[in-house]
Amino acid sequence: MFPSNGKPPPLSPVLLAGIAARPVSPRLLQPVLDHVMKLLGKQHPDLFERLSCLSDPTFLIDPIDLPVVFHLDANPERTYLEVSRSIERPAAAVIRGPLMTLLDLLEGRMDGDALFFSRALAIEGDTEAVVALRNAVDDSGIDLRGDVLASFGPFAKPAHRVLGMGGRIYTRMSRDLDMLKAALQQPQPKGPQA
Amino acid sequence: MNNTLVMGPVLFNWKPEDWRDFYFRIADEADVDEVFVGEAVCSKRTPFLDPFIPDVVERLVAADKKVVLSTLALIMNTREMNNVRDITASGDEDILVEANDVSATALLKGQPHAIGPYVNIYNEGTRDYFARNGATSICLPVELDLNAIGALAKDSPVPLEVMVFGRLPLAISARCYHARAHKLHKDGCQYICAEDPDGLDVQTLNGEPFLAVNGVQTMSHAYSDLSASVSDLQDLGINRFRLSPHANVDMVAVAQLYREVANGAIDAQEAHARLSGWMDGAAFCNGYIKGENGHTFSDAQ
Amino acid sequence: MKKLELVCPAGTPAALRAAVDSGADTVYLGFRDATNARNFPGLNFSRPELEQGIEYARSKGAHIYLAINTFPTAGDPEPWHKAVDDGAALGVDAVILADIGMLDYAAQNHPDLRRHLSVQASASNPEAINFYQDAFDVKRVVLPRVLTVPEIKALHKEISVETEVFVFGGLCVMAEGRCSLSSYVTGQSPNTNGVCSPACDVRYEDEDDGSMVSRLGDFTINAFAPGEAAGYPTLCKGRFVANGETSYLFEDPVSLNAASMLSELQEAGVTALKIEGRQRGKAYIAEVVSSFRKSVDGMESGAEVENDLTQVAEGQRKTAGAYQKTWR
Repeated sequence: MFPSNGKPPPLSPVLLAGIAARPVSPRLLQPVLDHVMKLLGKQHPDLFERLSCLSDPTFLIDPIDLPVVFHLDANPERTYLEVSRSIERPAAAVIRGPLMTLLDLLEGRMDGDALFFSRALAIEGDTEAVVALRNAVDDSGIDLRGDVLASFGPFAKPAHRVLGMGGRIYTRMSRDLDMLKAALQQPQPKGPQA
Repeated sequence: MNNTLVMGPVLFNWKPEDWRDFYFRIADEADVDEVFVGEAVCSKRTPFLDPFIPDVVERLVAADKKVVLSTLALIMNTREMNNVRDITASGDEDILVEANDVSATALLKGQPHAIGPYVNIYNEGTRDYFARNGATSICLPVELDLNAIGALAKDSPVPLEVMVFGRLPLAISARCYHARAHKLHKDGCQYICAEDPDGLDVQTLNGEPFLAVNGVQTMSHAYSDLSASVSDLQDLGINRFRLSPHANVDMVAVAQLYREVANGAIDAQEAHARLSGWMDGAAFCNGYIKGENGHTFSDAQ
Repeated sequence: MKKLELVCPAGTPAALRAAVDSGADTVYLGFRDATNARNFPGLNFSRPELEQGIEYARSKGAHIYLAINTFPTAGDPEPWHKAVDDGAALGVDAVILADIGMLDYAAQNHPDLRRHLSVQASASNPEAINFYQDAFDVKRVVLPRVLTVPEIKALHKEISVETEVFVFGGLCVMAEGRCSLSSYVTGQSPNTNGVCSPACDVRYEDEDDGSMVSRLGDFTINAFAPGEAAGYPTLCKGRFVANGETSYLFEDPVSLNAASMLSELQEAGVTALKIEGRQRGKAYIAEVVSSFRKSVDGMESGAEVENDLTQVAEGQRKTAGAYQKTWR
């Protein structure tokens, strides 16, 4: 889907996604992520149970078209998802790919194997952890817009100002993503075949 | 304690005359108790061997070897099925048949027979079923470790056997990889597997030795040498040891070596050192029996 | 002729719902342990999940088959026996077994529980199939992926049990249940651990030139040029060197797709079509099951519906596999 040098083609929708996301500072996004993880723990307890087979369930999720990375620790005692501008600590596994692809994977709209076969995703480190995460996430039926954004929506009470602000940013991202998704669903040239 | 040394069937496509001469020499010179004869890998090879089988069996019987007729491991069509039906029907009390597929065990039901390593016998329930069915010996699958073998050997109603020497038979397929490696199909294979009397070496892209191809069979690149585990196996109650024939080493000498190991006449390190000396450059493995990756080798007992 | 039954995989409850909603007649699945041949991290069903899954399937008229298709460890048959007991208690429509000891156990202890023979038993000929029927009253045999369509047809003249054949998904190139390649390299095998080429032994390494190398245990399985579609390093699907030539020696990175052969398979006597992929995501399940639902429904009206499932296929290419003799 994308050249494998990790750089999106110029003026692609993915680049626009990067631009759209740029103003989101990690400091503002973090409360949103904390909220997301709390929600996930409550709504999808199976998700973490499925990962209990791993001794080190730590992940670095790197959307190659965003200037940030996400650190995920799925250990039941210290579950967290943290956003930062740089890789701050080692993780058992790294999942790298365009944001849209990662979101599709997260919400179970696309098959992890199929994505990897097309090399839209790159995996480093503990492949078992990645496979477990993918299987767990695929089952959980996470719906970012339905579950997470609804909790930020007009009828949800923002916990405090920063969270509200993060929520607005998220809503804007969501709108942008919808637009980008429409653009992405246009026919695209395929990568070279084996 | 009586140790039974078994010469397994030749798994490779040797020239029929070489194949015959190998068995003649085993009959005349090798210190083995049982000798398995017949094609287990590819049905396309059987017409070439068939004319020599009576002479080979006669010579072995005359030398007081117990002869067992091997059968195909993978049976996919009527011709192959009929081949196995013919062999299972020809066995008697003196010359047993080795089943290498469940179909052959069914055909041999109620009469004494051997079971080869291609039938999946991983646990006591399956072992006991086949014992009730008439099996008089069972050669275990190659991937079992000492714990599993110990559990199977405990109170076994039938003598169990472990393959201790030779390239490990790891997989069998409908597809011929030997033909494929030469850009041929199985139907027009030109019997190209005859070029490699010990199998065709397969390396990884980095040049690491990996596997060996023998027609439709895939084998280990490394040669299994379980001499270091023979006494452990004996302690567990295993007294049947199978040697799988190769062309690049004197199998009479290999049989003598394992006889000495089984009798406790030489220690395992000495045995392995001799074997390595005879097989210049060969890699060895014994990982399975130690519960490790199958390709690894350690000389610790 | 009776309509072909569509038997679909599920590795999670979400995948089960996706399969049922997409038109599966039957969903096959396994417990979250070494008793089934897709014992992958984060995959498969707990007992309560199976109970709910059965309820969901029943509410939509679908069936559940429970795969207990590994070979019990000597000295520790308990997890396997318990899997059969629990499957029977929860009311699965059939158990799919491979081990003779297990078939014996199930036939003795749960005579009314329908028994199918797993592909892992590699029953490829009439004597073997009739043996499993006579000895354990097996009602259906999943045929190993080694037979051509004419061979399946010839086989049906000599057997009376139902057969189920794979029509889509990953393709074992070796006779199933008779392959120790994975344990040779990693210590873990499909027969004993329920995994082939386990993810814990897989590494992808990026090279400086933008290419990527996939490794399994101590061995290099494949290398991909920049942008080249990459596969999971299942060890029989790698690129190796023999006679000085580099090739996909065992199998190219392809998926089985027999969608164009459904009528032939039905005429050969096949009862059910099986889709591989309990380890795949629910998106894959939904896409593949819907596609085959259309194809099977289309057969009723005499219209053969070709599918285009290239995007979800491994290596993004498809093959009719062993069903065509030239594959050999």
